[in-house]
Order: sequence, then structure tokens, then C-alpha cells
Amino acid sequence: MAAYIKPIILLLCSGALYITATAQVKIAGYITNKEQAAVEGASITIKGSTAGAVTDSAGYFQLSTALKGKQVLAVSSIGYKPYERGIMIPDTGITVHVTLANENKTLGEVVISAGAFEASDKAKGASLTPMDAMTVAGNNGDISNSLRSLPGAQQIGEREGLFVRGGTGEETKQFVDGTLLKNPNFASVPGIIQPARINPFLFKGVLFSTGGYSAQYGQAMSSALILESVDLPETSSASLHIFPSNSGAGFQKLARNKQSSYGISADYGNLQPYNSVIKQRPDYFTGPEYGRSEANYRVKTSKTGILKIYANSTFSNIGMRNADVDTSSLQGAFELHSRNFYGNISYREMLVPNWQLNAGGAYSYNKDRMSYQLQNNAHETIPIPNTPFSWKYRSWQTQTNFAQGRAVLTRLFAHNQALHMGVEHFYTQDRYRSNDSIYPLTDQLSAAFAEGDIYITDNMMARAGVRVERSTLLQRTTVAPRASLAYRFPDGGQVNVAYGIFYQKPENEFLYQQRNLQFSEATHYIINYTKKANNRLLRIEAYYKKYQDLVKTAPVLNNNGSGDAKGIELFWRDKRTIPNLDYWVSYTYLDTKRDYLNFPYALQPNFATPHTASLAVKRYFPDINLNVNLVYNFATGRPYYDIRSPQDKTPQVFDQGTTRAYHNVNLSGAYMFSLFPKWKHKDFSGIGFGMNNILGTQQVFGYQYSYNGMNKVPMLPTASRSYYIGLFMSFGIDRTEDFINDNL
Amino acid sequence: MKKVMLLCASFLLLLLATKAQDKLSAAIAQLDKASTVADYEALAVRFKQAANAQKSNWLPFYYTALCNAKIGFLLQKDGDRIEPFSIEGEQYAKQAEALLKDKGTNKDKAELYTVYSMVYRSKVFINPMTYGREFGTLSQQYLDKAAQLDPENPRVLYLQAWVKYYTPKMWGGDKDKAKILAQSALKGFSAQPATGEQPHWGKPESEELLAKYK
Repeated sequence: MAAYIKPIILLLCSGALYITATAQVKIAGYITNKEQAAVEGASITIKGSTAGAVTDSAGYFQLSTALKGKQVLAVSSIGYKPYERGIMIPDTGITVHVTLANENKTLGEVVISAGAFEASDKAKGASLTPMDAMTVAGNNGDISNSLRSLPGAQQIGEREGLFVRGGTGEETKQFVDGTLLKNPNFASVPGIIQPARINPFLFKGVLFSTGGYSAQYGQAMSSALILESVDLPETSSASLHIFPSNSGAGFQKLARNKQSSYGISADYGNLQPYNSVIKQRPDYFTGPEYGRSEANYRVKTSKTGILKIYANSTFSNIGMRNADVDTSSLQGAFELHSRNFYGNISYREMLVPNWQLNAGGAYSYNKDRMSYQLQNNAHETIPIPNTPFSWKYRSWQTQTNFAQGRAVLTRLFAHNQALHMGVEHFYTQDRYRSNDSIYPLTDQLSAAFAEGDIYITDNMMARAGVRVERSTLLQRTTVAPRASLAYRFPDGGQVNVAYGIFYQKPENEFLYQQRNLQFSEATHYIINYTKKANNRLLRIEAYYKKYQDLVKTAPVLNNNGSGDAKGIELFWRDKRTIPNLDYWVSYTYLDTKRDYLNFPYALQPNFATPHTASLAVKRYFPDINLNVNLVYNFATGRPYYDIRSPQDKTPQVFDQGTTRAYHNVNLSGAYMFSLFPKWKHKDFSGIGFGMNNILGTQQVFGYQYSYNGMNKVPMLPTASRSYYIGLFMSFGIDRTEDFINDNL
Repeated sequence: MKKVMLLCASFLLLLLATKAQDKLSAAIAQLDKASTVADYEALAVRFKQAANAQKSNWLPFYYTALCNAKIGFLLQKDGDRIEPFSIEGEQYAKQAEALLKDKGTNKDKAELYTVYSMVYRSKVFINPMTYGREFGTLSQQYLDKAAQLDPENPRVLYLQAWVKYYTPKMWGGDKDKAKILAQSALKGFSAQPATGEQPHWGKPESEELLAKYK
């Protein structure tokens, strides 16, 4: 050390000689912090010169320089923001006073968040975590059901999926590690929500975008649910669960060198025993039964690279009879047999410093066989050849092969800036077979996109991108710009705006009939204010969404539909006020009309209601180790219509109404314990229980009209309440830690 | 001339060193009076400057980490703000650890591991749901290490009491045990000098914990 000091001392000692030798001027001054206290030890330099000084204990400094005129003065001190300022140095010298700002440690880079709800394993404070999302009461293991307690989504009791901001369920798409998850739920059954195919614990990050999402995703006019799968587990583990409706087991094995892991699991559920105890409205003659097996393999390919493979195979069989709306004596018998395979591979690697590659592929095969017929009370098929009964005897089948490849190259820059460039290709081959006719459909859809995350100032970030898509089936190309901007106020509050155009292919049911259709289109405008502080989170968002080229089925199949949606949404979460209690409230106001399908003019669609609100409460009782979740969902009535085209003329609304308001209170909980606390593979066990619609409120989802419009039947849940209780055990990984730490 | 220069140099060095030492002592004295986030933030800056002036002394690094850990504990109910402090705390704790690695006494290491444990505990506060599993475990590991090296250290005892107090009963929490630990911590504090450069904080914290029993 002394070796370095000596020359410095020499310089210092001889410095006085030079001052007189050259025409130097003096710069003097003092440095303080925001509290006007002297900053000692701050170093002052004139940029581009060797002249420098250090402040004394009173914050004063003095330096001499030969530089004159316009110069830049730089001040730095540990713990303070570096300071620079232009000064004019006259021949007479000057005095300056600099106030240093504290290093702004509490605010990181601004995160763009218009339209997005993120539940991540990196969540801070009152932001959502994947566990928060998975423990919303009554979600039945389906993350999209949980997200219905967030603003933007409608309460749709008779169908799976997310109906976002005046959009249909088909307008929301799910993505796993970048690739499309083609059939997130078990095959649809009329009037009954079907469970999710993928275990929600597979995900460490959930981004629910209710609009204005990134150019990296497409083919979803309303909403994107972007899921990120977990990497390697921390330890090997095994688990099992036994519930009346579903039982299963699985394990995860982490290699000894912690560089790779694999796991398999399987579960099966048949609701017959449950349905024999809890009376159901439909008369089930098959199942419902659901089976699932999953396998995964993950390997670290380098320090920064990981390859993940996931495969999922599922089946469901359901047969049920419901009263037929057109007769008083017959029942409609619906039967479904569904098989699905889904595989996903993803690869992430830092190729060279600051260049990241994200590549992925997905394959899915789906086959649904369905039939419908009218039966008498003895369950014998009774053929009635005349209208409107003749079309009620049919069997049909859909078979889909879907494959996707995707590669995204990202160049990373300072301040979290990045440029993403990617290409993807979707291959879809559908075969629809109805009675004896086959309708084939093959599409090759290619997309390319580029998007930049641009840092403007400490408190302002922008994201701008464009996505180009081409479909061989529609023979059309689209160009979709997307942009969003985030600005943060000094108090941490943030304003976000977003804009984007989103295209989507018409559904297959229309394309089977006619190929000469084009993309439907939605344009989003979003403004949002978010503030997070003190383990509380407030979010207000307003939007306007315009639909163009929606599919109309009358008078002929065309793309002349249109519509719009506007609304305001509120979200408030508070983890602080009451110890051990966490709650959130969301409110959704929606004003939407659309002219699509057989609507004679723009109408409020039957899945949309103006007011929706949710209250979700989570409470942990540490002394008895009990965790309780409660959710209350409210929605005003939904409209319903009797739209018919008499004698093939233009459609007319013959009758319409609004259902009663919807109330739903679900309760769920878990009591945690350990059966073998002394064993070296100590278990983490629990009893899980839940009850949906505990108040037993009558819920009406809509009305179904008879062919002649003389009879209308309410669409109701299969039972007024539902229940579950069961045991879960996990060896190796302590999931209960998540609950405990939440309260420590 | 050369001799004069050397003398001049060593005198200056000595002067600088004593000055730095004085500054460190002053900051430590100030630490005993600190109570708010702003107090600890200001002190963290002073300790960082002291660390910069005496790069081979582990104490200013230790105290910088401690200030950041204390801020994390004070911000327990405001998880959004903790992360930058816990990052800085971890960074300085690591530097102190490197300095203690070869010649550090067990007692000094126990002091540092206690602060390490607090830094990781403050990471849990960011969001217990997401950070708990990883950093709760790490925090406990460092506290156990500290207790192994110096079981009688009152700061180790205090932190053990804190953990026992706030952990739910079924998961190893024990309020009675916490009380005993906090009391023995207090005994330890009265047997130690309450001033000086060596770590001596923790008495008011222990008293605060004990006050919860009244």
C-alpha cells in the first residue's frame, strides 16, 4: 500500500510549486446532503482533467485547475447518487455548492405493467404469488378459476376458461414457457366446468394479462395467461393425495449432482361414488371420470442453460342425461370420450454474454368422441324424424394434431433494457367428423416479432413491438403493433398506458363450413395506476377495446361482426392491517356490446354483466396450524335472448331477459400436521377440505329456449353445493413452510 | 530528503488511519442511539465510507451489514422496500466474512453469522410466501453456526429468542423458551461492556421482546 501512497504524497508535497508556475484558477465549495449536513470524503473532479479534491469534515473542498470555460464538475461519494453538472470557470475562480441525493436504493427499474397481473416466485410485498393464486377457495385446482377473483374476468359458472373484458372464453389463450397450451382444460361438456389438465404446482410464474400484452404472443384477442414452469426442484420428494373425487401419487428425483431431475405422477378420479351421495341434477350414466399421467425431465445444460421436457396424457369419459327443452317426456343423452396428449420442450441459454436464447416446442394430440340422442324414461333411444328433433340424433368426433416451434433471441442491455426477436410456427391439423361426413382443416401459421424494452429515465420505461402473422388457411397476413409505457412517481405510484392490436383466427366450427374468412381483430387502449406500499397494493385500470371482423353466422357466414367493450376495474390487497389475515377485493365494471354470430344487431352478450366483485380472504391460525380461504363472488344478472330466424329470414330477438344476480361463497382450508415427525423422511401432511356455494344461493347462468320459443329452461349448476375433504402427504418437500413463513 | 518524505508519508498515513478509526468509533456510538430507518440508512453510509477507508478491518463491513439488516427488520411490514437493503447487507457480510476467514476468532465469526442470519431473515420479510423457504432455511443455518461458535453470545441468544417467539408452536416455536433465551441474553449484555467498537448492540431489542410478556 505504501508503494502507492508515496507518489501521491510526492505529488501533494510538490503541488504547491505548480500552482504558481501555471495560470491556474481555484474552485472552492462545499458539499451537503439533502438534510444540509456536510458530506465528508466526497471526491470532486473536473471531467477530462486530473484535477481533483476530497471534502473535509465540514464538507469543504478546494481544487485548482488550468481548465477554463465550460467544464463538467463531477462529485461522488459512497452512499450518494453520482452528481455531475456543467460549470463556467472564469479566470477569477468560482465557488460552488452541491447537494447530493441519497442513493435511491428502494426503487429498482420501472416494470411495465399495464393490463397485467403477475404472480411470481419473486413477488414482493402485496404482489401475488403463484401460491396465492392456487389457494383461492373453490378453484378446483384450475389456475384460471382462481384468476376469476381478479378484476377483468367474468363469473361464468357453466364453462371453464376466462371471459375477459367482453371477450369470449376462446379469446383467452394459455402459454407454457412461451408455447401455446392448446387444450388447457378437459374436453368441454355443456353446462359443466371441466377441470384443468395440468397440475398448477408446475408453475413458478403466472402472468395474467387482461389486455395490451406483449408482441411475443398472439392469436388471443382478449387475454393471455402466460405460465412459466419451475426449474429443478430443491430436493427429491414424493407425494400422494386421497380425495373422494381424485386420488394420485407422484415423485420427483433430483440427481445427486443437482444438475438434473425427473419425475412422474398419475391421478385418477371417478365422481360416481360422490354423486351417489350428493344428488346431482344431470343423470350420469358414464363417469364422470378423469385420468391423468405426467412426466418431466429437467437438466442444466450449463451454468446458465436449462432444458425442460414435460409430457401429459389425459382422458375423460362422461355420459349424462338432462331433460330435453322441446319435449316433456324425453331426455337428451350426451356422451363424451376424450383423449389428449400434450408435450412441451423448452430450452433457455445465455449464448454469449448479453445474448439469450429461449427456444421451445409443443405438440398436442386431442380426440373427442361425442354423441347425443333423445331417450325415454327407460333410457331407450326414441327417434323422432321431424324438426326440431331430427338434428338431436348425432355423433361427432374432433381430432386435432397441433405442433409449434418457437425461438426467441434476446439482446440484453444496461438498465434492464432488452431487444427480443423471435419467430414461431404453428401447425394445426383438424379432422371433424359428423355422422358420416369428414371436414378436414390444415393450417400453417407463421409469426415473427420484435420488441424492445426501452429505458427512458430512471422512472420511465417503454415497450414497443410489432408482430407479423401469416396463415396459409386464411391466406392472409396481419401486422400487429403493440406498445406500452410506464411512468413512476417519486412516491412509488406508477401510471401505465398500453395500446395494441390483436388478431385471432375464427374458431374451427366456422372454418369447417367456410374457409374464406379472415382474422378477427381487437384494438386495446389501457390506462392504469398502481401503488404498492406497506404490504398493500392498489390498482385502478380503465380501458377501451374495439372489435372488428367478428364472425357472424347470419344471414350467411361472414366477417362483418363488430363490437366494443369499455370498463373500469379496481383491485385492493391488504396483508398488513389484520395480523395473519390477507384479503383482496376486486371490482369490475364492464360495458360491452357486440354484433356477432346470429345477433340481429349489437347486443350485450350473454357472458357479460356490468358489475362483478370478489372478496378473497386468507387466514392462518398459527396455534392450531389451520389455514382457511374464503372467497365471495358477486355478479349482476347476465342477459339472455331467444334469437331465431323464422322461415330463414333475418334473425330476430323474440324474447330477452336478465338472470338473477349471482352470489357464490366458497370456503376451503387445510389443517397441517406430520404423521411421522421423527422419521428421517419426515412427512408434511394435511387434511384439505372445501365447500362451494356454502350459502346454497340459487345460481342461474342463463336460459335455454325451446325451438318454438314457448318454453324456457334455466341453466343451473349440477348441484347447489359441492364438498370435498381428503388427505395429502408430501415427503421431502415441505409445502407447509409456505404457509408458515407467510406469518413469521 | 527521502527520509523526510518517508516520515511525512508515515505521519500522514497514521493521521489518516487514526482519523478513520475515530470516524468509525463515532459512527458506532451513534448506532447505539439509532432507531428509525433513516437513522440506519445514514449510518450505513458512514460505515460504508469507513469500510472504504480501512479495507482490512472487518468491523465497518460488519456494521454496514448490520444497519441493512436492522432496516429490513424495521420494514418487516413493507416487503416492497426491503430487497435493496438485504442485497447490500449480504454483500457487506460477505466482504466481512472474507476478512475474518483466516485470522478471525470464533467470537468474531459468531457475531458476523448472527448478522448474516438477520440479513437472510430480512429477505424472508420481502414476501414470506416466495422467499421463505429458501432464505428462512439459510437464516436458520447461519444462526446455528453462530450458536455453535459462541453459544453464550447475547446477540445469538437474542436472535434465537426472536425466532422462537415468532415461529408457530407446531413448527418449533416456543414462547416460554423464547422468554428464557431473551432473559439469558439480557444477563449476557450486563456482563459485557456497553460501549466500544466491538459489537455490543442488542440490549434494547431483548428488552423489547421481553416486554411482550407483560
